[in-house]
Amino acid sequence: MVKTTKGMNIPLNRAEGDLEIRVEIEDGVVTEAWSAGTMFRGFEAMMQGRGARDGLVMTPRICGICSLTHLTAAALALDAIAGVTPPDNAHRLRNIALMIETIQSDIRQAVLMFMVDFANKKAYGSHPLSEEAQARYGALSGRTAIETIRESKRLLQVVAIIGGQWPHTSFMVPGGVTSSPDISKILQCRMIIDGFRAWYERTILGCSIARWQEIVSVDDLYAWLLEKEAHRESEVGFFLRFAKHAGLDTFGRGPNRFLSYGNYPLPQATAVSGQGARLTRAGYAVGTEVFPFMPGKIAEDISHSWYEQNGEPLHPFSGRTKPYASGQSGRLYSWIKAPRYDGEVVETGPLAEMVIDGNPLFCEMIEREGPSVMVRELARLVRPAGLLTPMTTWVDELLAASNDSFYHPVKAIPDGEGAGLIQAARGALGHWVKVEDEKIAHYQIITPSAWNGSPRDGQGRRGAWEEALIGTPIRDIDNPVEAGHVVRSFDPCLVCAVHCLDKGGGKGGLRIGPGR
Amino acid sequence: MTGCIICIGNRFVAADAAGPAVFDRLREMVLPQGVDLVEGGLAGLNLLPFLENGGRVVFVDAVCGFAGPGEMVLLTEREITGTTSQVHYDHGAGLPYVLAVLPQVADGEPPEEIFLVGLEGECSMETIDQAARLSIAVAANGLMGSG
Repeated sequence: MVKTTKGMNIPLNRAEGDLEIRVEIEDGVVTEAWSAGTMFRGFEAMMQGRGARDGLVMTPRICGICSLTHLTAAALALDAIAGVTPPDNAHRLRNIALMIETIQSDIRQAVLMFMVDFANKKAYGSHPLSEEAQARYGALSGRTAIETIRESKRLLQVVAIIGGQWPHTSFMVPGGVTSSPDISKILQCRMIIDGFRAWYERTILGCSIARWQEIVSVDDLYAWLLEKEAHRESEVGFFLRFAKHAGLDTFGRGPNRFLSYGNYPLPQATAVSGQGARLTRAGYAVGTEVFPFMPGKIAEDISHSWYEQNGEPLHPFSGRTKPYASGQSGRLYSWIKAPRYDGEVVETGPLAEMVIDGNPLFCEMIEREGPSVMVRELARLVRPAGLLTPMTTWVDELLAASNDSFYHPVKAIPDGEGAGLIQAARGALGHWVKVEDEKIAHYQIITPSAWNGSPRDGQGRRGAWEEALIGTPIRDIDNPVEAGHVVRSFDPCLVCAVHCLDKGGGKGGLRIGPGR
Repeated sequence: MTGCIICIGNRFVAADAAGPAVFDRLREMVLPQGVDLVEGGLAGLNLLPFLENGGRVVFVDAVCGFAGPGEMVLLTEREITGTTSQVHYDHGAGLPYVLAVLPQVADGEPPEEIFLVGLEGECSMETIDQAARLSIAVAANGLMGSG
C-alpha cells in the first residue's frame, strides 16, 4: 500500500489564492482531505457601528465577481427590516441584474476555469478529444475561451445600463432601485440579451433553449447527443463526450444533501411562473427528497475554525466573528466557519437548485449515479437556459410598464433585524443584519463557498468538497488534475486576494480577485 | 486624446489597498478635461469595457518586486505583460491576462497607450499623493507627447 500525504495548494492556487487543499492518497485514491481558507476577512466586524445602509456600498466590494449578489442580499435584508415590499419594476430590474451576473459567471467558470483543464496536455494528451480541447479551451487563444470572454463582456453592459454605474453599482436600495431606465435603455438591454441568447443557443447548447428543455431524462439526454452534429459539437455536447470518457461521472460525490434559498422574487403581476413567490424554489434535499427550507435551522460551527471558541453552533443572527488563531494547533485549520443546516453538511450551487426545483434530468442523474463532477458542472453550464427566457419576459414587462414606480420611499431604517437570503452564482448567500439607532449592530455573512468549502464540524464531519474529494482517483500525483476537477466543480471563490504585479512572475501575478 | 485612470485593488485588504487609496486622493483633486477616473476594485475582466475607447489608460495598483518598500514605479504595457506568466483565467485574473486577451475580444478601439503606476509595499500619504499626481500627468500627456 502506498500512502502519501500531499498538500495540493499549488495547483489549486491557479483557481484560488486563498484556498489550500491537503489530501492523503492511498493506492492512487484520495482517502482524506482538509480544505483551508487561509485569509481572515472580518467584514462582519468592519460593518458594526456603520450607518444602516452602508452594507449597500461596502458589501458589493467584497467580491469582484459576485458584486451584485452581495448588493441584492444587503438590499433584501434592509427591505425586511424596513418592512417594505419593492414595486414590481424594482423586482424586475433587480432580478435581471442578478441573472446577468449569474449567467456570465456560469459560462466563464465553465469554460475558462473548468473546461480549460481539458486542454491540460500532461493530463489528457492521450484523450481522443485532446486536440479539439486545445482548440476550444487553450489559454489565451482557445476559440470558445475567447468567445466566452467577448460574449460575457457584452452581456454585462446590461448591468451598466440599468445600474447607472460600472463597476460597483449600488442601484438597489431598500424600497426598490434608484434607476428608472427609459424605453430606449430597456430596448438596448433587450438587444444585448437577445444577442447573447443567440450565441448561447448556437455555441453552448447547439440547439434552441426550447429544444434543450424537452430533455427530461438521461435517455433523452443521450438521444439528444446523437440526434445532430450541432448537438455533439456544442459546448454541452463536447463536455458530455469529454467528461464521460475521462470518468468525471465516477467521482466527486460529496454529501448528497442540498440547500437552496430560492431566488428571484416574482413581481405581483408577471407572466413568469415560479414556486413560493420565487422563480426558483427554496428547499433542503436529502438526495432528491426535498423538504421545506427553514432559515432557523442554519447554524455556524466553529470547532475547527480559527475563531474564539464559544460552545454550541450559533445561528447567524447570534453568531460572532472573533479571530483567535493560537493554541489547539492542528485541530483548527481554516478561517472559514462551518455552516450547517439542521446540523447536516450540505452542498449548494447550480446542482442544488436543479434538484430542489425538481428538474427531472438532474433528479434522475442523482438517483441513478449520485452527484459527481460531471453532473455538478453540467448543471452550471445549462443553468442559463432556465434564466434567459424569464429575463426576457421581465424586460418586455418593463417596456410595457416603464411609467410605473421603481421605488417605494424608505425614509429611515427602523430598529430591527432582517435577512437577505438569495442564490448567488455559487449558491446560497445570506446577509443577517441587525439595526439599532440607524446603525448596524450586527452583520453576518455566509457565502456559498463557506457552505461548500467549510472545514470539519464538531461532529468531525467533513465539509462538502472535502467529502467530495474522498475516493477521487489520482493518476499522477504531480499533476492531480482530478482533485482540481472536484474542487472546481463547486466553483470555489475564496479569494479577495492580496494582489500585486509580481516581478518574479508565475504564482503571484497581478490578482484582481473577489470574495470568498 | 482622452485618458482614463483605473485604480484597482481591494480597499478591505491592507496589502492591496494602494490603488483605492490613490483613487480616494484623486477624487479630492481637479482632473484635467478629458481625464476620467474609475474605481476598478476587483473587477478583473469586467474592466474590459474601459479598454475599448482608445486614448490612454493608466492603471494604479500595488506591485511586488519592482521598487523599494514605500516607493512608486511607472511601467509600460510591455513591462506589465512581460512580468508574469499567467495564462489562465481565474477568480484572481489579473492585468496581464486582461491585456493578453484584449486584442481578441475588444469591440471598440484598444487604448493607444497603457501604463501602470505601481506602489510597492506600505506607502505613506506622501507617496499616495505622488502617485495620484503622476497618474494625472501620464493620463493627460502620455509618453509620446501627443497632448
